[in-house]
Amino acid sequence: MQASPPSLLSAAWIIARKDLAVELRTRSAFLSVLVFTLLGLATFYFAWDPSAVAAVDLAPGVLWVTFTFAGLLGLHRSFGMEAQDRAIDALLVAPVEREAIYLGKALANFVFVGTVLCAALPALVLFYNLPPAPALAALAPIALLAAIGLVSVGTLFSSMAVNTRLAELLLPMLSLPFFVPIVMASSQASTRLLAGRPLAEAMPWIKILIAFDLVFVVACTVAFPYTLEE
Amino acid sequence: MPDTYSYFVAAYVVACVVYGAYLASLWWRSKRD
Amino acid sequence: MLLALAAVAGAVTRILAFTPYEAHQGAAQKIYYIHVPAAMSAYLALGVVAAMSIVYLWLHDERSDRLAESAAEVSFVFTTVVLVTGPLWARPIWNTWWSWDARLNLTLFLWFVTAAYLVLRGAIEQDAMRARYSAVLGVLAALLVPFIHLSVYLFRTMHPMPIVLKPSEPSLPREMLTTFLIASLAFLFFGVALIRARYRLTPLLRSSAGGGNA
Repeated sequence: MQASPPSLLSAAWIIARKDLAVELRTRSAFLSVLVFTLLGLATFYFAWDPSAVAAVDLAPGVLWVTFTFAGLLGLHRSFGMEAQDRAIDALLVAPVEREAIYLGKALANFVFVGTVLCAALPALVLFYNLPPAPALAALAPIALLAAIGLVSVGTLFSSMAVNTRLAELLLPMLSLPFFVPIVMASSQASTRLLAGRPLAEAMPWIKILIAFDLVFVVACTVAFPYTLEE
Repeated sequence: MPDTYSYFVAAYVVACVVYGAYLASLWWRSKRD
Repeated sequence: MLLALAAVAGAVTRILAFTPYEAHQGAAQKIYYIHVPAAMSAYLALGVVAAMSIVYLWLHDERSDRLAESAAEVSFVFTTVVLVTGPLWARPIWNTWWSWDARLNLTLFLWFVTAAYLVLRGAIEQDAMRARYSAVLGVLAALLVPFIHLSVYLFRTMHPMPIVLKPSEPSLPREMLTTFLIASLAFLFFGVALIRARYRLTPLLRSSAGGGNA
């Protein structure tokens, strides 16, 4: 019986499921990222002077900064898990295109980050006393777009950093400059929406997010094979 | 004319130091073998 | 290299001895003559890094990687000068060390990315992998630049600053313009000389470090 190798997308899906299955079994990375995020949201609250800044103005910035650092924690484990016993070799000999490995891992990371956000967004609404329905309606789509950007760049740099000596330093150092447009655009858009400004005011920033996602998902997918050892 | 002389001196000194340090590092690295 | 240093020395002499002070800004205005040329050299060197990154990924020619490495180091030096002399100029003139204007932020961001590039290179010992990874970073960073610029520009226009940050470029009196041109040429020449010197250093550095598997 000659089975044909899986197509790009189904291969990516299989790889994503594998990563998520591993994560589900141990849950340690997920829990640590979740706890970090919630603690971060709460800690910023204590640094805040309520008479100077309104909660609704502070909340978005806090969310996106915390999200960025939490994302880095999660991303590190993405290729870190393959480093042990050189498990990456098993992926490399499998009849899947290199790009599928990238897409699969990025997808797994996206699910990971998305799940954390599902807890973080309600927590934000709770801690900062935001009106639940409008806040979540505004934040959720932006979070989705931001997560795509974060995960696309972060997965690529994770694959690079894990092969170097200074992996824990390099992943943030490489990724954070690339996260700057994401954080800026997300914060600006969500601040405006949460303050009740019309959608049109937030649109330029949302467009930047969408453009960023499109450009970098493609660019990182194309660049990924170069980061694998020959 | 405002007295901005100290800033001017500081800037030029810093520039000299940075360029000089880099030139020195190039020179030292070439000698290291 | 000696010629470049002589050119720089000549330019600086002209700046200090032969150019008049500007009436409103006093001595600090002369910082402009080293700040802007440094920025020009820095951006040029970064352009070299980006171009050589693409060339390396396409042709796998080791020389383009060496040139990218040299240009990145030199660009880092020039950008550092820009970022230090800039606030020193801004403070007496506009009474602020920093602003959130697009050009400053782009320069700061490029400084961070160049630092990341150099750290990445330092963390990998095998030549081929180091070249590939640096090239990937170089290309991605080049893609990122328009996003940063756009984001900061949008940020600025939506948050009008209370003070005017960059006065419209006054038409420079002829003496100052000449000095500026001389300084620009001298520093560009200096930049090129630095890149060349660093480039020639690379084989020594690699052989002394034991080289790597190609």
